[in-house]
Amino acid sequence: MKTPLKLLLCHHGTAGANRAEALAHELTVPGTTMIVHCLVVPELWAGMQGDDWLNNASTRDTFGSYVENMLENDARRELAGVAGRCKERGIAYEAVMRLGEPADVVLAVATETGADLVVIGPPRRKGEEGLRSRMDLEKLVRGLKCPLLIAPRP
Amino acid sequence: MIYTKKSPALLIIGVMMLLWGWLNASGGIDGMQRYLQKSAYSDHMKVKEKFDAELRVATEIATAEGKPAPVMKMPKSKFDAAKASQANLSYIFGGIATVLGLLIMVWTPKEGQFDYYLSIFPGMAFILLIAFIVRWGLDPIFANWGKDAKDTLGFDFAHIFNLNYVVLGIVIGIVIVNVFKIPAWAANGVRTARFFLKTGVILLGALYSATELAQLGGLSVIMIGIFVLGSVGVVLYMGKRMKSGNSMTAVLSAGMGVCGVSATVAASPVVNAKAGEIAYTIGTILIWGVGCMFLFPTIGHMLNMGPVQFGAWAGTGILNSAQVAGAALAFDPHGIETLKVAEIFNITRVLFLPIIVLWLAAWYVKHEAGAQKVDLGKVLLAKFPLFVLGFILLFILSTLGVFTPSGHYQGKYFSSEEIKEDKLLKGKETRAIEGELARLKEPAGAKQLQDHFAEKAINIGQRHATPDDAYKGLADLIANKKMTTREQETLLAAVGKMKGLDAVAASSIDKASKAAYHSSKTISAFRDWLAWLFAFGLIGLGMQITMAALKQAGGTPLIIGGVVGTGKAVGSLIVVLLFVKEFI
Repeated sequence: MKTPLKLLLCHHGTAGANRAEALAHELTVPGTTMIVHCLVVPELWAGMQGDDWLNNASTRDTFGSYVENMLENDARRELAGVAGRCKERGIAYEAVMRLGEPADVVLAVATETGADLVVIGPPRRKGEEGLRSRMDLEKLVRGLKCPLLIAPRP
Repeated sequence: MIYTKKSPALLIIGVMMLLWGWLNASGGIDGMQRYLQKSAYSDHMKVKEKFDAELRVATEIATAEGKPAPVMKMPKSKFDAAKASQANLSYIFGGIATVLGLLIMVWTPKEGQFDYYLSIFPGMAFILLIAFIVRWGLDPIFANWGKDAKDTLGFDFAHIFNLNYVVLGIVIGIVIVNVFKIPAWAANGVRTARFFLKTGVILLGALYSATELAQLGGLSVIMIGIFVLGSVGVVLYMGKRMKSGNSMTAVLSAGMGVCGVSATVAASPVVNAKAGEIAYTIGTILIWGVGCMFLFPTIGHMLNMGPVQFGAWAGTGILNSAQVAGAALAFDPHGIETLKVAEIFNITRVLFLPIIVLWLAAWYVKHEAGAQKVDLGKVLLAKFPLFVLGFILLFILSTLGVFTPSGHYQGKYFSSEEIKEDKLLKGKETRAIEGELARLKEPAGAKQLQDHFAEKAINIGQRHATPDDAYKGLADLIANKKMTTREQETLLAAVGKMKGLDAVAASSIDKASKAAYHSSKTISAFRDWLAWLFAFGLIGLGMQITMAALKQAGGTPLIIGGVVGTGKAVGSLIVVLLFVKEFI
């Protein structure tokens, strides 16, 4: 397989994403490949105040800031983790963090960065714990202009 | 940041509204309105028939007397009033939307307050347009279909499944946000739904009597107290048994126990809930709340519940507060008695909220190592629902008689001075009462009165009513041909319901009673505006319910939520059916 020059790694801290990261490291060559780390904050958070109407504006603002800070801290921790591991291996690293639908964001980032390979984790099994914000694989496959690699399950 | 989106949407909505107003005012859609407003049109035909007959008689008299035919104006029917109301509302809001829509098209937005406030109008007009379509179009269409299909199905599906403007509005809101997405030009305005819903609750304050508020307040404190504290306790217990994390258990108990999503939003930062825990809890509550909103009114109709029973049940058993208002209006869309009961329960819940948040904060600090203590005063102050003060203020103003003479009941008040000439008792009626007065003065009549007053516990001030009070009241009624005081009306209304009373005398007393009560125009306007405010607010809130949030329901929260939600709904139904009687 040709060594990728720009590998787009979709990673958000789940077990599947860790497998994708391990696979990406197997494919990269220090000094040749750059890993573009794409972290998607699911759009569902935008509607997470639901139909709350009883609280006053300050309570809603407090909740909004709390959730925002928490997501930001989680995201920074993930970014720092992947960046650190890339550094250890001498692989060039770049991070992109976006809010949106996972497939839409990956398609947009792949085009913007000119990625020549996209690596993602395996889809979660039904009933497995975690946020229900699945990658629309069909949309991704139809829209990508470069190969897509899905890390296998153990 | 520029908030106003350059879009012709507001202008188009404004023109559509103006067109609808013009079509109504000009009679251009009378054919359609006859189908939509069947009952009002039947009233229109009766008024027309009566008017035609009167005109014919007046013309014949004038012809016989050699005078020219009289010019008479047909009185307005309910059909005319309904069309005029639609035309007026369409003109007012369509006019505003058109002017602002033009402004958005020609103005180059600049950052600032004006840009921000202008940006909310397209979304508001969007919701209002949906409210117009649902209330004036879909609601009567479904009502007609329900009646038409009754013979075939054996039941009125529109009534049983509550396919009225409230439910349809919420469903349309949910469909829009999930299928089409809220257009960018409407996003800011859609968020005003909360403000209008709170305004509705504040206005509702003007419609309670002191007695009602005391009775409903007492009942709601007992019911909410038992079920809120009970659910919070059960979730804390189940969470521990199922080894759910402390923050998960705390945030879930707030959501399940108090007022659903609102409680989750209020409690999450205090108990350091994690992102996934918040998502699971809100998803579970929303899915449960939406389900209950459709299920509760249908069960309520099947069990033939009254407004107090249903309002108390929905106010206690439905997890999420937004769906409490939705279910109450879905159950009784054209009256507000159920909503009044349910909203007292909602207000009681929200008053419980700061207390529960404090309890959970203390619980969390005790169970979680390293958790920081919270400032109790700060939490109480921050979580206090200010709109409740508005509700109380409106109630006080109404009780003091600012909107209508004090002592009104559901917007009706007693006034002898305002009784019109044609409502005074006629000779035949006063003679029937005279006959009964003479009979009641006989020993047998006096005893019947005495027993009746004792049985019905009729009082005059602090003492029991006596036959002499009735004689004086009846004599005054005969002399004045109308009721003169509220005490006289209360007493004679009881006399009028006595068994064995002459039918003409009884109906005359009833007529005099009804003539003495008048509807407050201000309160009537409040009632009408309330329906619009709640319809607007609930459509807007429907637009906040995303499938992405609903899909998060799952895991331990769904199991605990299912157990507690079902227990609360069934438990409160049993309590309501056994102990709560209709009293307003």
